[in-house]
Amino acid sequence: MAGVWMKTIDEGEAAAAPLVEAEGEVLRLFREHGAPLYRFCRCTLARGDEAEDVVQDVFLKLLQHLRRGGGGANLRAWLFQVAANGCRDRLRGRDRWLPWRADRDRRIAGPAAEEPDRRGALAALGALGPRDRLLLSLRAQGLSYREIASAAGIRERSVGRLLARAVDRWKKRIEG
Amino acid sequence: MACLTDADVQAVADGEAPDALGTHAAACASCRGRVDLRRIEMTELVAAAGRASPPPRLEARVREAARSAPRGATALREVRGRAIGARAIAALATAAATGAVVFLVLPRFGAPTRLSAAEVLGRSLQTLSNARGVERLEYELAFAGFGDGPHRIEQLVDHDRPTRYRIANYRADGTLESAISQDPAAGRRWHLIRVDGRNYIFELAAGRTPFVSLPELAEAQVEAIIGMMEATANQNLSIVDTAEGRQYVVQMPAAPPHATKALLDLYQARAVIDANDFHIAEFSATGTLLRQPYAVTFKLIRRTLQPAAGVAPGAFALEPGPDDVVLHGEATNDPLFDVLGTVLREVGRTKDR
Repeated sequence: MAGVWMKTIDEGEAAAAPLVEAEGEVLRLFREHGAPLYRFCRCTLARGDEAEDVVQDVFLKLLQHLRRGGGGANLRAWLFQVAANGCRDRLRGRDRWLPWRADRDRRIAGPAAEEPDRRGALAALGALGPRDRLLLSLRAQGLSYREIASAAGIRERSVGRLLARAVDRWKKRIEG
Repeated sequence: MACLTDADVQAVADGEAPDALGTHAAACASCRGRVDLRRIEMTELVAAAGRASPPPRLEARVREAARSAPRGATALREVRGRAIGARAIAALATAAATGAVVFLVLPRFGAPTRLSAAEVLGRSLQTLSNARGVERLEYELAFAGFGDGPHRIEQLVDHDRPTRYRIANYRADGTLESAISQDPAAGRRWHLIRVDGRNYIFELAAGRTPFVSLPELAEAQVEAIIGMMEATANQNLSIVDTAEGRQYVVQMPAAPPHATKALLDLYQARAVIDANDFHIAEFSATGTLLRQPYAVTFKLIRRTLQPAAGVAPGAFALEPGPDDVVLHGEATNDPLFDVLGTVLREVGRTKDR
Protein backbone atom coordinates (compact mmCIF):
# COMPACT_ATOMS: atom_id res chain seq x y z
CA MET A 1 0.00 0.00 0.00
CA ALA A 2 2.86 2.36 0.77
CA GLY A 3 3.95 2.12 -2.84
CA VAL A 4 0.56 3.19 -4.00
CA TRP A 5 0.48 6.15 -1.66
CA MET A 6 3.90 7.23 -2.84
CA LYS A 7 3.00 7.11 -6.52
CA THR A 8 4.05 10.23 -8.43
CA ILE A 9 3.31 11.82 -11.75
CA ASP A 10 4.85 10.16 -14.77
CA GLU A 11 7.84 12.39 -15.13
CA GLY A 12 8.41 11.53 -18.75
CA GLU A 13 5.09 12.76 -20.06
CA ALA A 14 5.76 16.46 -20.24
CA ALA A 15 8.64 18.78 -20.80
CA ALA A 16 10.54 20.10 -17.80
CA ALA A 17 9.30 23.40 -16.49
CA PRO A 18 11.95 26.07 -16.35
CA LEU A 19 12.78 27.04 -12.80
CA VAL A 20 11.68 30.62 -13.27
CA GLU A 21 8.24 29.48 -14.40
CA ALA A 22 7.68 26.85 -11.72
CA GLU A 23 6.48 29.27 -9.05
CA GLY A 24 4.07 30.93 -11.43
CA GLU A 25 2.78 27.57 -12.54
CA VAL A 26 2.22 26.55 -8.93
CA LEU A 27 0.17 29.67 -8.29
CA ARG A 28 -1.83 29.11 -11.46
CA LEU A 29 -2.55 25.55 -10.43
CA PHE A 30 -3.44 26.69 -6.92
CA ARG A 31 -6.08 29.01 -8.35
CA GLU A 32 -7.42 26.17 -10.43
CA HIS A 33 -7.36 23.37 -7.88
CA GLY A 34 -6.80 25.05 -4.51
CA ALA A 35 -10.45 25.48 -3.56
CA PRO A 36 -11.57 21.85 -4.07
CA LEU A 37 -8.35 20.65 -2.45
CA TYR A 38 -8.98 22.85 0.55
CA ARG A 39 -12.57 21.64 0.82
CA PHE A 40 -11.42 18.05 0.56
CA CYS A 41 -8.84 18.52 3.32
CA ARG A 42 -11.25 20.45 5.51
CA CYS A 43 -13.89 17.79 5.08
CA THR A 44 -11.40 15.05 5.87
CA LEU A 45 -9.69 16.74 8.81
CA ALA A 46 -12.62 18.81 10.13
CA ARG A 47 -10.17 21.60 10.86
CA GLY A 48 -9.56 24.64 8.71
CA ASP A 49 -6.08 25.43 9.94
CA GLU A 50 -4.79 21.92 9.35
CA ALA A 51 -6.45 21.89 5.94
CA GLU A 52 -4.51 25.02 5.06
CA ASP A 53 -1.28 23.40 6.18
CA VAL A 54 -1.91 20.32 4.09
CA VAL A 55 -2.83 22.33 0.99
CA GLN A 56 0.31 24.40 1.35
CA ASP A 57 2.37 21.22 1.63
CA VAL A 58 0.70 19.84 -1.48
CA PHE A 59 1.71 22.83 -3.56
CA LEU A 60 5.22 22.85 -2.14
CA LYS A 61 5.56 19.24 -3.24
CA LEU A 62 4.19 20.23 -6.61
CA LEU A 63 6.81 22.96 -6.83
CA GLN A 64 9.56 20.48 -6.07
CA HIS A 65 8.11 18.16 -8.65
CA LEU A 66 8.03 20.84 -11.32
CA ARG A 67 11.56 21.94 -10.50
CA ARG A 68 12.71 18.40 -11.00
CA GLY A 69 11.18 18.51 -14.44
CA GLY A 70 8.10 16.51 -13.60
CA GLY A 71 5.11 16.73 -15.88
CA GLY A 72 1.45 17.37 -15.33
CA ALA A 73 -0.26 14.22 -16.54
CA ASN A 74 -3.22 13.23 -14.40
CA LEU A 75 -2.42 16.24 -12.29
CA ARG A 76 -5.70 16.60 -10.41
CA ALA A 77 -5.56 13.01 -9.19
CA TRP A 78 -1.93 13.52 -8.17
CA LEU A 79 -2.77 16.63 -6.17
CA PHE A 80 -5.61 14.88 -4.36
CA GLN A 81 -3.41 11.85 -3.76
CA VAL A 82 -0.75 13.98 -2.09
CA ALA A 83 -3.45 15.79 -0.10
CA ALA A 84 -4.97 12.48 0.97
CA ASN A 85 -1.55 11.32 2.17
CA GLY A 86 -1.12 14.54 4.11
CA CYS A 87 -4.54 14.24 5.71
CA ARG A 88 -3.90 10.62 6.61
CA ASP A 89 -0.65 11.55 8.34
CA ARG A 90 -2.40 14.30 10.27
CA LEU A 91 -5.18 12.01 11.37
CA ARG A 92 -2.73 9.40 12.57
CA GLY A 93 -1.00 11.98 14.71
CA ARG A 94 -4.05 13.25 16.52
CA ASP A 95 -5.55 10.08 17.91
CA ARG A 96 -4.62 10.72 21.50
CA TRP A 97 -5.98 13.04 24.12
CA LEU A 98 -4.18 14.13 27.18
CA PRO A 99 -5.46 11.91 29.99
CA TRP A 100 -7.45 14.09 32.32
CA ARG A 101 -9.87 11.79 34.10
CA ALA A 102 -11.67 8.54 33.59
CA ASP A 103 -15.15 9.87 33.01
CA ARG A 104 -14.05 12.21 30.27
CA ASP A 105 -16.86 13.61 28.21
CA ARG A 106 -15.80 13.14 24.60
CA ARG A 107 -18.66 15.01 23.02
CA ILE A 108 -17.70 16.68 19.78
CA ALA A 109 -19.07 20.13 19.20
CA GLY A 110 -19.75 20.76 15.53
CA PRO A 111 -18.88 24.05 13.87
CA ALA A 112 -21.26 26.62 15.27
CA ALA A 113 -21.85 28.26 11.90
CA GLU A 114 -23.14 25.09 10.23
CA GLU A 115 -26.81 24.31 9.82
CA PRO A 116 -27.98 21.39 12.00
CA ASP A 117 -28.65 19.08 9.03
CA ARG A 118 -25.29 19.72 7.47
CA ARG A 119 -23.58 19.48 10.80
CA GLY A 120 -25.10 16.05 11.32
CA ALA A 121 -24.16 14.94 7.82
CA LEU A 122 -20.65 16.19 8.31
CA ALA A 123 -20.36 14.50 11.69
CA ALA A 124 -21.58 11.24 10.15
CA LEU A 125 -18.97 11.62 7.44
CA GLY A 126 -16.28 12.15 10.04
CA ALA A 127 -17.39 9.04 11.93
CA LEU A 128 -16.81 6.76 8.94
CA GLY A 129 -13.72 4.67 8.43
CA PRO A 130 -10.76 6.35 6.76
CA ARG A 131 -11.32 4.77 3.33
CA ASP A 132 -15.03 5.53 3.22
CA ARG A 133 -14.38 9.09 4.27
CA LEU A 134 -11.62 9.45 1.71
CA LEU A 135 -13.71 8.10 -1.16
CA LEU A 136 -16.75 10.20 -0.32
CA SER A 137 -14.67 13.33 0.18
CA LEU A 138 -12.99 12.80 -3.19
CA ARG A 139 -16.29 12.21 -4.95
CA ALA A 140 -17.82 15.24 -3.25
CA GLN A 141 -15.15 17.36 -4.91
CA GLY A 142 -16.17 16.07 -8.32
CA LEU A 143 -13.37 13.64 -9.05
CA SER A 144 -14.08 11.02 -11.68
CA TYR A 145 -13.85 7.34 -10.88
CA ARG A 146 -10.50 7.22 -12.65
CA GLU A 147 -9.16 10.10 -10.59
CA ILE A 148 -10.55 8.63 -7.37
CA ALA A 149 -8.87 5.32 -8.17
CA SER A 150 -5.57 7.05 -8.73
CA ALA A 151 -5.80 9.25 -5.64
CA ALA A 152 -7.00 6.48 -3.34
CA GLY A 153 -4.79 3.72 -4.72
CA ILE A 154 -7.59 1.37 -5.69
CA ARG A 155 -8.74 -0.20 -8.95
CA GLU A 156 -11.00 1.94 -11.06
CA ARG A 157 -13.56 -0.79 -11.48
CA SER A 158 -13.87 -1.07 -7.70
CA VAL A 159 -14.71 2.59 -7.18
CA GLY A 160 -18.45 2.31 -7.83
CA ARG A 161 -18.88 -0.65 -5.50
CA LEU A 162 -16.84 0.94 -2.71
CA LEU A 163 -18.58 4.27 -3.13
CA ALA A 164 -22.00 2.61 -2.98
CA ARG A 165 -21.13 0.89 0.29
CA ALA A 166 -19.60 4.06 1.70
CA VAL A 167 -22.73 6.07 0.89
CA ASP A 168 -24.90 3.38 2.51
CA ARG A 169 -22.81 3.48 5.66
CA TRP A 170 -22.87 7.26 5.68
CA LYS A 171 -26.67 7.37 5.38
CA LYS A 172 -27.06 4.79 8.13
CA ARG A 173 -24.96 6.91 10.47
CA ILE A 174 -27.05 9.96 9.68
CA GLU A 175 -30.28 8.10 10.34
CA GLY A 176 -28.98 6.12 13.30
CA MET B 1 -31.35 -7.36 -18.64
CA ALA B 2 -31.30 -8.00 -14.92
CA CYS B 3 -31.89 -5.11 -12.55
CA LEU B 4 -28.93 -2.99 -11.49
CA THR B 5 -26.61 -3.89 -8.65
CA ASP B 6 -25.86 -1.32 -5.98
CA ALA B 7 -22.56 -0.54 -7.68
CA ASP B 8 -24.40 -0.08 -11.00
CA VAL B 9 -26.88 2.28 -9.38
CA GLN B 10 -24.00 4.26 -7.92
CA ALA B 11 -22.26 4.45 -11.28
CA VAL B 12 -25.42 5.56 -13.07
CA ALA B 13 -26.07 8.21 -10.44
CA ASP B 14 -22.49 9.40 -10.77
CA GLY B 15 -22.62 9.45 -14.58
CA GLU B 16 -19.89 6.84 -14.78
CA ALA B 17 -21.92 3.87 -16.04
CA PRO B 18 -21.91 2.39 -19.55
CA ASP B 19 -24.83 3.40 -21.73
CA ALA B 20 -26.52 0.02 -21.35
CA LEU B 21 -26.96 0.50 -17.62
CA GLY B 22 -28.36 3.97 -18.10
CA THR B 23 -30.80 2.67 -20.65
CA HIS B 24 -32.00 0.00 -18.28
CA ALA B 25 -32.43 2.50 -15.47
CA ALA B 26 -34.54 4.68 -17.72
CA ALA B 27 -36.81 1.79 -18.61
CA CYS B 28 -37.11 0.08 -15.23
CA ALA B 29 -39.19 1.93 -12.67
CA SER B 30 -37.58 0.15 -9.73
CA CYS B 31 -34.03 0.89 -10.83
CA ARG B 32 -34.95 4.43 -11.84
CA GLY B 33 -36.24 5.03 -8.31
CA ARG B 34 -33.03 3.70 -6.80
CA VAL B 35 -30.92 5.88 -9.10
CA ASP B 36 -32.99 8.95 -8.30
CA LEU B 37 -32.63 8.31 -4.59
CA ARG B 38 -28.88 7.86 -4.90
CA ARG B 39 -28.60 11.10 -6.87
CA ILE B 40 -30.34 12.90 -4.04
CA GLU B 41 -27.98 11.32 -1.54
CA MET B 42 -24.96 12.32 -3.58
CA THR B 43 -26.26 15.87 -3.73
CA GLU B 44 -26.56 15.79 0.05
CA LEU B 45 -23.00 14.52 0.22
CA VAL B 46 -21.73 17.44 -1.85
CA ALA B 47 -23.68 19.83 0.37
CA ALA B 48 -22.24 18.23 3.49
CA ALA B 49 -18.72 18.56 2.17
CA GLY B 50 -19.38 22.29 1.78
CA ARG B 51 -18.63 24.88 -0.83
CA ALA B 52 -16.40 27.00 1.34
CA SER B 53 -13.66 28.87 -0.43
CA PRO B 54 -10.18 28.77 1.03
CA PRO B 55 -9.33 31.86 3.04
CA PRO B 56 -7.53 34.51 1.00
CA ARG B 57 -4.47 34.15 3.18
CA LEU B 58 -3.94 30.64 1.88
CA GLU B 59 -2.94 31.85 -1.56
CA ALA B 60 -0.56 34.32 0.05
CA ARG B 61 0.89 31.48 2.12
CA VAL B 62 1.40 29.30 -0.92
CA ARG B 63 2.93 32.19 -2.87
CA GLU B 64 5.33 33.03 -0.09
CA ALA B 65 6.20 29.39 0.53
CA ALA B 66 6.86 28.83 -3.17
CA ARG B 67 8.96 31.97 -3.39
CA SER B 68 11.10 31.08 -0.40
CA ALA B 69 11.23 27.32 -0.90
CA PRO B 70 14.81 26.03 -1.09
CA ARG B 71 15.95 23.90 -3.98
CA GLY B 72 16.35 20.83 -1.79
CA ALA B 73 13.73 18.35 -0.76
CA THR B 74 12.86 20.05 2.48
CA ALA B 75 10.83 23.21 2.53
CA LEU B 76 10.20 25.35 5.53
CA ARG B 77 6.65 26.42 5.86
CA GLU B 78 4.91 29.00 7.94
CA VAL B 79 3.63 27.77 11.25
CA ARG B 80 0.65 30.09 11.26
CA GLY B 81 -0.93 30.86 14.55
CA ARG B 82 1.33 28.61 16.55
CA ALA B 83 3.68 31.08 18.12
CA ILE B 84 5.00 29.00 20.92
CA GLY B 85 4.05 30.22 24.34
CA ALA B 86 2.56 33.68 23.97
CA ARG B 87 -0.55 32.70 22.07
CA ALA B 88 -1.25 29.65 24.13
CA ILE B 89 -0.73 31.49 27.37
CA ALA B 90 -2.87 34.41 26.23
CA ALA B 91 -5.61 32.02 25.19
CA LEU B 92 -5.49 30.17 28.46
CA ALA B 93 -5.47 33.39 30.42
CA THR B 94 -8.52 34.50 28.51
CA ALA B 95 -10.20 31.21 29.19
CA ALA B 96 -9.38 31.43 32.84
CA ALA B 97 -10.64 34.99 33.01
CA THR B 98 -13.86 34.09 31.31
CA GLY B 99 -14.33 31.11 33.52
CA ALA B 100 -13.74 33.18 36.58
CA VAL B 101 -16.38 35.70 35.49
CA VAL B 102 -18.91 32.98 35.06
CA PHE B 103 -18.16 30.63 37.87
CA LEU B 104 -16.66 32.72 40.61
CA VAL B 105 -18.50 35.98 40.33
CA LEU B 106 -21.89 35.56 38.78
CA PRO B 107 -22.98 32.53 40.84
CA ARG B 108 -22.62 34.67 43.93
CA PHE B 109 -25.20 37.16 42.84
CA GLY B 110 -27.33 36.06 45.75
CA ALA B 111 -31.10 36.26 45.28
CA PRO B 112 -31.51 38.35 42.18
CA THR B 113 -35.29 38.60 42.52
CA ARG B 114 -34.86 40.62 45.73
CA LEU B 115 -31.67 42.53 45.01
CA SER B 116 -30.92 45.27 42.60
CA ALA B 117 -28.32 44.52 39.99
CA ALA B 118 -25.92 46.97 41.62
CA GLU B 119 -26.35 45.25 44.99
CA VAL B 120 -25.81 41.89 43.35
CA LEU B 121 -22.64 43.09 41.74
CA GLY B 122 -21.41 44.58 44.98
CA ARG B 123 -22.07 41.31 46.78
CA SER B 124 -20.23 39.41 44.07
CA LEU B 125 -17.17 41.57 44.66
CA GLN B 126 -17.29 40.83 48.39
CA THR B 127 -17.53 37.10 47.89
CA LEU B 128 -15.12 36.82 45.00
CA SER B 129 -12.43 35.01 46.97
CA ASN B 130 -14.57 32.92 49.29
CA ALA B 131 -14.40 29.61 47.41
CA ARG B 132 -12.53 26.80 49.13
CA GLY B 133 -11.30 23.41 48.00
CA VAL B 134 -10.49 22.21 44.51
CA GLU B 135 -12.83 23.33 41.78
CA ARG B 136 -13.05 21.48 38.48
CA LEU B 137 -14.69 23.33 35.63
CA GLU B 138 -15.45 22.19 32.12
CA TYR B 139 -16.94 24.60 29.62
CA GLU B 140 -17.10 25.55 25.96
CA LEU B 141 -15.53 28.82 25.00
CA ALA B 142 -15.48 30.83 21.79
CA PHE B 143 -13.29 33.88 21.71
CA ALA B 144 -13.19 36.10 18.62
CA GLY B 145 -9.77 36.00 17.06
CA PHE B 146 -8.77 32.85 18.89
CA GLY B 147 -8.65 29.94 16.43
CA ASP B 148 -11.70 28.36 14.88
CA GLY B 149 -13.56 27.85 18.15
CA PRO B 150 -15.45 26.85 20.10
CA HIS B 151 -12.87 25.45 22.48
CA ARG B 152 -13.50 23.17 25.39
CA ILE B 153 -11.68 24.23 28.53
CA GLU B 154 -10.99 21.99 31.47
CA GLN B 155 -9.80 23.86 34.52
CA LEU B 156 -8.69 22.59 37.91
CA VAL B 157 -8.01 25.18 40.60
CA ASP B 158 -7.04 24.71 44.23
CA HIS B 159 -8.65 27.71 45.92
CA ASP B 160 -6.79 26.98 49.13
CA ARG B 161 -3.53 27.32 47.22
CA PRO B 162 -4.28 29.43 44.13
CA THR B 163 -0.86 28.95 42.54
CA ARG B 164 -1.81 25.28 42.14
CA TYR B 165 -3.89 24.89 39.02
CA ARG B 166 -4.22 23.17 35.68
CA ILE B 167 -5.95 24.40 32.52
CA ALA B 168 -6.32 22.43 29.30
CA ASN B 169 -7.70 23.75 26.03
CA TYR B 170 -9.35 21.48 23.46
CA ARG B 171 -10.49 22.37 19.98
CA ALA B 172 -14.05 21.80 18.83
CA ASP B 173 -13.08 18.44 17.32
CA GLY B 174 -11.75 17.25 20.68
CA THR B 175 -8.06 17.70 19.90
CA LEU B 176 -5.96 18.95 22.77
CA GLU B 177 -4.36 22.21 21.70
CA SER B 178 -2.56 23.51 24.74
CA ALA B 179 -2.37 23.18 28.49
CA ILE B 180 -0.63 24.80 31.40
CA SER B 181 -0.37 23.58 34.95
CA GLN B 182 1.55 24.37 38.07
CA ASP B 183 1.97 22.53 41.33
CA PRO B 184 4.13 24.23 43.97
CA ALA B 185 4.08 21.04 46.04
CA ALA B 186 5.85 19.22 43.24
CA GLY B 187 8.04 22.22 42.42
CA ARG B 188 7.04 21.98 38.79
CA ARG B 189 5.29 23.93 36.08
CA TRP B 190 4.22 22.35 32.83
CA HIS B 191 3.31 23.81 29.45
CA LEU B 192 1.87 21.62 26.73
CA ILE B 193 1.69 22.79 23.13
CA ARG B 194 0.47 20.68 20.24
CA VAL B 195 2.29 21.25 16.96
CA ASP B 196 1.69 19.24 13.79
CA GLY B 197 -0.22 16.58 15.65
CA ARG B 198 2.35 16.01 18.40
CA ASN B 199 2.36 17.14 22.01
CA TYR B 200 5.40 19.03 23.27
CA ILE B 201 5.53 19.21 27.04
CA PHE B 202 7.81 21.65 28.82
CA GLU B 203 8.49 20.44 32.33
CA LEU B 204 10.04 23.26 34.28
CA ALA B 205 11.58 22.95 37.70
CA ALA B 206 10.36 25.83 39.85
CA GLY B 207 13.00 26.43 42.46
CA ARG B 208 11.71 29.83 43.43
CA THR B 209 8.31 31.27 44.24
CA PRO B 210 5.81 29.84 41.78
CA PHE B 211 4.64 31.91 38.87
CA VAL B 212 1.54 33.95 39.62
CA SER B 213 -1.65 31.95 39.24
CA LEU B 214 -3.62 32.47 36.04
CA PRO B 215 -6.86 32.12 38.00
CA GLU B 216 -5.65 34.86 40.34
CA LEU B 217 -4.91 37.07 37.37
CA ALA B 218 -8.36 36.28 36.07
CA GLU B 219 -9.93 37.28 39.36
CA ALA B 220 -8.20 40.64 39.20
CA GLN B 221 -9.59 41.08 35.71
CA VAL B 222 -13.01 40.05 36.91
CA GLU B 223 -12.96 42.66 39.64
CA ALA B 224 -12.37 45.29 36.99
CA ILE B 225 -15.24 43.97 34.89
CA ILE B 226 -17.61 43.80 37.83
CA GLY B 227 -16.68 47.33 38.80
CA MET B 228 -17.60 48.44 35.31
CA MET B 229 -20.87 46.55 35.38
CA GLU B 230 -21.63 48.09 38.76
CA ALA B 231 -21.15 51.53 37.29
CA THR B 232 -23.54 50.77 34.45
CA ALA B 233 -27.13 51.86 34.93
CA ASN B 234 -30.23 49.84 34.05
CA GLN B 235 -28.97 46.30 34.20
CA ASN B 236 -31.83 44.02 33.25
CA LEU B 237 -32.88 41.07 35.34
CA SER B 238 -35.56 38.67 34.12
CA ILE B 239 -36.86 35.19 34.90
CA VAL B 240 -37.37 32.63 32.17
CA ASP B 241 -39.00 29.21 32.54
CA THR B 242 -37.43 26.70 30.18
CA ALA B 243 -37.53 22.96 29.64
CA GLU B 244 -34.39 22.72 31.78
CA GLY B 245 -36.00 24.69 34.60
CA ARG B 246 -36.16 28.27 35.72
CA GLN B 247 -33.33 30.55 34.68
CA TYR B 248 -32.37 34.10 35.55
CA VAL B 249 -31.12 36.25 32.71
CA VAL B 250 -28.89 39.15 33.68
CA GLN B 251 -28.18 41.53 30.86
CA MET B 252 -26.18 44.69 30.67
CA PRO B 253 -27.77 47.00 28.10
CA ALA B 254 -25.84 47.26 24.87
CA ALA B 255 -23.65 50.30 24.55
CA PRO B 256 -22.48 51.28 21.07
CA PRO B 257 -18.77 50.81 20.44
CA HIS B 258 -16.93 54.02 21.06
CA ALA B 259 -13.42 55.36 21.05
CA THR B 260 -11.84 54.77 24.43
CA LYS B 261 -8.47 54.99 26.06
CA ALA B 262 -9.44 52.47 28.72
CA LEU B 263 -7.52 49.20 28.78
CA LEU B 264 -10.75 47.31 29.40
CA ASP B 265 -14.19 48.31 28.18
CA LEU B 266 -17.49 46.45 28.09
CA TYR B 267 -20.14 47.06 25.45
CA GLN B 268 -22.53 44.27 26.29
CA ALA B 269 -22.78 41.35 28.68
CA ARG B 270 -25.40 38.67 29.23
CA ALA B 271 -25.54 35.77 31.65
CA VAL B 272 -28.05 32.95 31.91
CA ILE B 273 -28.13 31.66 35.49
CA ASP B 274 -29.74 28.47 36.65
CA ALA B 275 -32.29 29.33 39.34
CA ASN B 276 -31.71 26.09 41.19
CA ASP B 277 -28.13 26.59 42.29
CA PHE B 278 -27.23 29.91 40.63
CA HIS B 279 -24.63 28.42 38.35
CA ILE B 280 -24.16 30.15 35.02
CA ALA B 281 -25.45 28.15 32.07
CA GLU B 282 -24.33 30.61 29.41
CA PHE B 283 -22.43 33.84 29.21
CA SER B 284 -21.52 36.28 26.45
CA ALA B 285 -19.77 39.62 26.40
CA THR B 286 -18.32 42.09 23.93
CA GLY B 287 -15.99 45.00 24.49
CA THR B 288 -12.39 46.00 24.14
CA LEU B 289 -9.34 44.62 25.91
CA LEU B 290 -6.07 46.51 25.54
CA ARG B 291 -8.00 48.63 23.03
CA GLN B 292 -8.65 45.64 20.80
CA PRO B 293 -12.23 44.48 20.24
CA TYR B 294 -13.15 41.15 21.73
CA ALA B 295 -16.21 38.95 21.88
CA VAL B 296 -16.52 35.94 24.10
CA THR B 297 -19.23 33.35 24.56
CA PHE B 298 -19.22 30.23 26.63
CA LYS B 299 -21.37 27.50 28.01
CA LEU B 300 -20.95 25.41 31.15
CA ILE B 301 -20.63 21.67 30.74
CA ARG B 302 -19.73 20.60 34.27
CA ARG B 303 -18.61 22.04 37.62
CA THR B 304 -17.56 20.14 40.72
CA LEU B 305 -16.03 21.22 44.00
CA GLN B 306 -14.25 18.95 46.47
CA PRO B 307 -11.88 19.29 49.43
CA ALA B 308 -8.23 19.56 48.46
CA ALA B 309 -7.46 16.49 50.56
CA GLY B 310 -9.64 14.38 48.28
CA VAL B 311 -7.68 15.24 45.14
CA ALA B 312 -4.91 12.91 43.98
CA PRO B 313 -1.40 14.36 44.48
CA GLY B 314 -0.63 14.14 40.77
CA ALA B 315 -3.90 15.66 39.60
CA PHE B 316 -2.23 18.93 38.68
CA ALA B 317 0.61 17.38 36.67
CA LEU B 318 0.71 16.90 32.91
CA GLU B 319 1.59 13.29 32.31
CA PRO B 320 3.32 12.72 28.95
CA GLY B 321 2.06 10.06 26.58
CA PRO B 322 4.28 7.65 24.66
CA ASP B 323 4.50 9.87 21.56
CA ASP B 324 4.93 13.15 23.40
CA VAL B 325 8.15 15.12 23.37
CA VAL B 326 9.19 16.27 26.84
CA LEU B 327 11.67 19.12 27.24
CA HIS B 328 13.08 19.98 30.64
CA GLY B 329 14.03 23.42 31.84
CA GLU B 330 14.04 25.88 34.71
CA ALA B 331 11.03 27.97 35.59
CA THR B 332 11.22 31.71 36.16
CA ASN B 333 8.48 34.30 36.43
CA ASP B 334 8.54 34.73 32.65
CA PRO B 335 6.64 31.77 31.17
CA LEU B 336 7.18 32.90 27.59
CA PHE B 337 10.93 32.97 28.06
CA ASP B 338 10.82 29.67 29.91
CA VAL B 339 9.29 27.93 26.91
CA LEU B 340 11.30 29.76 24.29
CA GLY B 341 14.53 29.43 26.25
CA THR B 342 14.00 25.69 26.70
CA VAL B 343 13.44 25.26 22.98
CA LEU B 344 16.49 27.30 22.05
CA ARG B 345 18.70 25.40 24.50
CA GLU B 346 17.50 22.14 22.97
CA VAL B 347 18.23 23.46 19.49
CA GLY B 348 21.70 24.49 20.65
CA ARG B 349 22.37 21.07 22.16
CA THR B 350 21.23 19.37 18.98
CA LYS B 351 23.53 21.54 16.90
CA ASP B 352 26.49 20.82 19.16
CA ARG B 353 26.10 17.05 18.84
